[in-house]
Amino acid sequence: MQETLLHVSKVYKSYHKSTTPSLDGVDFTIARGEIVGIFGPNGAGKTTLISILCSILDPTLGSVTYYLDGEKSPREIRSKLGFVPQDFSFFPELTANQNLEYFGSLYDIKRADLAQKIDDLLQKVGLSHVKNSKVSTFSGGMKRRLNLIISLLHDPVILFLDEPTVGVDVQSKIAIMNLLQELNRQGTTIIYTSHHLKEAEEFCNQIILIDHGKMIACNTLANLLATHQVTNLEDLILKLTGTVLRD
Amino acid sequence: MRKLSASVWKEILLVLHDKVGLLLMYLMPLLLVFIITIVQNSAFQIVNENKLTVLISNQDKGSLGDSLVKALVHSGSFDIKRNNSLVEASVKRRTIDEDAMLGIYIPANFSERLGDNADNISKLMLEQMGVIEKAPKVSPKKQEIAIYFDPVVQENFRISVLNGIQAITNGIENEEMVSKLFQEMGYDSIPANIRQAIINRETKLKTANASLSTVAELIPNSSQHNVPAWSIFAMFFMVISLGGNIVKERLSGSFLRLQTIPTAFALTLVSKFLVYLFVALSQLLLLFLMGIYIFPHIGLPQLAMPNAFLPFLVVTLLSAVSAISYAVLVGTYAKTQEQANGFGAISIIIFAAIGGIWVPNFIMPDYMQTIGNISPLKWCLEGYYTLFLKNGAWSELMGTISFLFLFTVICQLLIFIRLRIQNYI
Repeated sequence: MQETLLHVSKVYKSYHKSTTPSLDGVDFTIARGEIVGIFGPNGAGKTTLISILCSILDPTLGSVTYYLDGEKSPREIRSKLGFVPQDFSFFPELTANQNLEYFGSLYDIKRADLAQKIDDLLQKVGLSHVKNSKVSTFSGGMKRRLNLIISLLHDPVILFLDEPTVGVDVQSKIAIMNLLQELNRQGTTIIYTSHHLKEAEEFCNQIILIDHGKMIACNTLANLLATHQVTNLEDLILKLTGTVLRD
Repeated sequence: MRKLSASVWKEILLVLHDKVGLLLMYLMPLLLVFIITIVQNSAFQIVNENKLTVLISNQDKGSLGDSLVKALVHSGSFDIKRNNSLVEASVKRRTIDEDAMLGIYIPANFSERLGDNADNISKLMLEQMGVIEKAPKVSPKKQEIAIYFDPVVQENFRISVLNGIQAITNGIENEEMVSKLFQEMGYDSIPANIRQAIINRETKLKTANASLSTVAELIPNSSQHNVPAWSIFAMFFMVISLGGNIVKERLSGSFLRLQTIPTAFALTLVSKFLVYLFVALSQLLLLFLMGIYIFPHIGLPQLAMPNAFLPFLVVTLLSAVSAISYAVLVGTYAKTQEQANGFGAISIIIFAAIGGIWVPNFIMPDYMQTIGNISPLKWCLEGYYTLFLKNGAWSELMGTISFLFLFTVICQLLIFIRLRIQNYI
């Protein structure tokens, strides 16, 4: 039996100005080493859910429990989480190395270890040659790769990615997906959202489908396809969420 | 400590990369202080050192018109251009043509009317004293000297000039009155000893600057006024760089990433605070050094630093902390960088205007002076004026220190509330 890493219990989230909740009783469990894809139409509640899982937002009701070795306090738990936002969250005025050194220092990584880690990660995503170049000069794909490796400096146990391959060329996409698969093989649990459904079909072994803040499916892709008698993820999403355009 | 040093280093790099921000924070204040001090110093020199060009057309048939012109020449304040061929309408026109600051037209009956009035008053006085039985009833004749100002001459300047001319005409009138009085009593003119006594009786005005201290007096001049005032303005203008920087980081997602890192968010704010405190203090240092070492070489008065160093340091630090707190507040509440820059800049300009940076607070209407009390720039300026112009110390600075401390606390509280609502802390 797989070891439970994360349990989300009846999470409910509502915002002051909204009449309907963003999340309404979401409840699931994630096992260590899984790659979980969270899908749903725009405005379904995916980003809110990821934000709650990363402790950026607090749920209005319900709880999120991490089963990590010995880490109890929110600060200790955060030190095991990695978050890759959809937006480029770094400083374009600085070089790649300066960005990585800054974020690495905030994780309290020893100076020598950090330098080694930076070189390794830059090399893995093909950015070694621009280590000391200003990030503002990078292409979209290079920025996306840098955005990813900033979150890997502290070897997170669980990695959250919000659209990690949006707007990149196929080469960058392959580099990113290869790195994520390597991390997963090394034991990192990955939770991600994407609109590249083909990529997700190959990458995820667990699917969570959300619509109007409610979780409407949670299972392996194979089981979901069989249950709902469809042949791919796109058809599954359309069958469960409909074809009406969302705002 | 390592996290703090990394965070501070990142802020330093960001400030160094922000070329426009650096220009706004360092070059703009230098230029502003430099230009405004030169302009105000020139205005000061025009009033106090240079002679005003005056075009005069004296049509007076008697001698008093000439007396008036001689008195104007004797005052040393005017460079007289005489042209007695001009009629009144021509004086109005030629004042501008001949680059005169003002034109004076003395009418043909100036002496006659002034003499008649003086004669009338002297007779009334003699009647009152019982020397003569009945003074003839004569209504006073209207006496008019026409004065035309170049339209560019400002109101306060006009008032100074008019007061000067009025004092001269009053002197002539008084002398004429005394002269008539003696004539009525059978003298040809005022006896020499009495004339001398009248001249000697002029009240001499001894002027000095009020001071809160007995130590060496600080001389008020354009440098003492402008360097502190515009340094404060420059310090608060960092809202453009710091406020915009905070919004940019928030919108770019850097703040979001920081929320997921096991580091207190306050660390980011503390590092920004430390770096911009250095920026504010270095701005002041540069401006003061310019006032002390460069101004004297370009003909401007040298800036004299206050004698009370510790109070000066406290006011400077509190002013810098207030400016940074306000900038962070704007950056925290603004939704876009444009909003932070626009609102930040306009609010500082308004604070500067009502706070007396541009025109002194005391010449504003009462209600504006009351409104001005909400401006942190007003209190910073009051603190600096107390130190730089009045030679004050702790006891006179309590208002400034209390307000700036309160202002900082309120800003920090509002920042905390906003960041708490947004789940950053």
